[in-house]
Amino acid sequence: MTDKVDLFKQNRADYIAPKTPQSLYVGAAHYLTIEGHGAPNGEAFQESLEALYGMAYTIKMTRKRDGKGDYTICKLEARWWHADGVDLTDIPQHQWHWQLLIRTPGNVQSIDLEQAARALVSKGKSELVKTVSLSQLEEGDCIQLLHTGPYEDEGYSIEILTKYAQEIGAKPNGCHHEIYISDPRRVPPERLKTILRQPVAMT
Amino acid sequence: MKPTTAQYYKQKMLKVLNYIQDNLDAPLELRELANVACFSPYHFHRMFKGMMGESLKEHIRRLRMERAAWRLRHSTHSVISIAHDASYASDVAFSRAFKRLCGLSPARYREDSTAPFPHLSPTAIRYSETEQLKEFEFFHSTEMMMNVVIKEVAPMEVAYVRHVGPYIECGTAWEKLCTHLAPLGLLGGQAKMVGLSHDDPDVTPAEKIRYDACITLDEDFSPTEEVGVKTIAGGEYAVTTHFGPYEKLSETYAQLCGEWLLTCGRTAANQPCFEVYLNDPESTAPEDLVTDIYLPLEGLTS
Repeated sequence: MTDKVDLFKQNRADYIAPKTPQSLYVGAAHYLTIEGHGAPNGEAFQESLEALYGMAYTIKMTRKRDGKGDYTICKLEARWWHADGVDLTDIPQHQWHWQLLIRTPGNVQSIDLEQAARALVSKGKSELVKTVSLSQLEEGDCIQLLHTGPYEDEGYSIEILTKYAQEIGAKPNGCHHEIYISDPRRVPPERLKTILRQPVAMT
Repeated sequence: MKPTTAQYYKQKMLKVLNYIQDNLDAPLELRELANVACFSPYHFHRMFKGMMGESLKEHIRRLRMERAAWRLRHSTHSVISIAHDASYASDVAFSRAFKRLCGLSPARYREDSTAPFPHLSPTAIRYSETEQLKEFEFFHSTEMMMNVVIKEVAPMEVAYVRHVGPYIECGTAWEKLCTHLAPLGLLGGQAKMVGLSHDDPDVTPAEKIRYDACITLDEDFSPTEEVGVKTIAGGEYAVTTHFGPYEKLSETYAQLCGEWLLTCGRTAANQPCFEVYLNDPESTAPEDLVTDIYLPLEGLTS
């Protein structure tokens, strides 16, 4: 039996985040992703989340059945932006754009996705599963910190991150990226742990 | 506590407690004991633990031990025959167990007539050669911190794989079920992961414990040799959430089927409980696991 791949553990360095911001370099990584827009507690977001997880487990288990190895489904991540590049804190949530991501081994292929989506749709699951795609992301220079507390309070942590960027002479170079360490169903809001990451370019 | 429900359960439990005391030489199987007081065999072991503060097995073992202590003091039976009556195959094992309970070896206990009679019961129910139990107090844990809601649940069709063996090995049933259903597109959407336990791990030998790994179906699925289909009955269920490792589920079950049931004015229906797993044990630390426990309730009467 081959060992199970756990990308979260194997790439521990990408997920180290102290309370104070730190700089790091994030190399290329593969993800299953789905995009959409609307408030994070809205219907579109929830449906996309469900479609992404449905695909993630269907692909994992199908590959496992076919003897293509086993891996752990990683933590949920999300990238957030606005179509016009406006600061997200200045606009209402329903205008937010997002990409939900689950880190996935590089040997998962688009044929795996097609097969899984076909199977899910054939059983009456949401057509949204067809919009799940494979992405490779190489964020490069980043700064990140660990935010503890409700998602609504992220503003303060983002300010700290922005201030830090100015201090080290860096400017944003990509979407605001969040990694959800805690399960919001389980953890009370004041104890939720979320990594806030900002790709940067050094000036 | 509503007196009627508590009285109802107390009368039933008294029958069981007296039956146990009168039949300590019998094997005392779970099913037989549940029958004595018409308890549903599905919940009896959990109710017992929740209401009495010790498991059925612990209770029986303790009573046999207390009887042994009584006989050491008041009879002339040999230590080995007393050990046999307490279900110990050797007097070495008996001596060790007795010493743990009483702090003295059986021989010393027999010699020293001032040594105290061991009693470690959480409910003050002790072995007696001559007395019948007429009344007792239910066990109360110091922290009854349980949120329970009652839900009307629709019947659920599930695909399942039966696992027979220790709980810690039930992962193989899940693997079989998931690798079978995933390629068919049956894992996404609202599909729930449900676990059904048919036995009491405290009474049934580990290799005989039956557990069904189930996934809810909302589309047709034809059963195969390995994966069956069945329906989990609908109706009213008491639901509580267990936070933390699966190894500790039995504690939450006991509290729900014991202390909570005594206070709610309802009785448990004669169907198994089930549990719904809300996160992925592969990528979740054991202390962060979340599981909903469903206890079926008898329809309301009058």
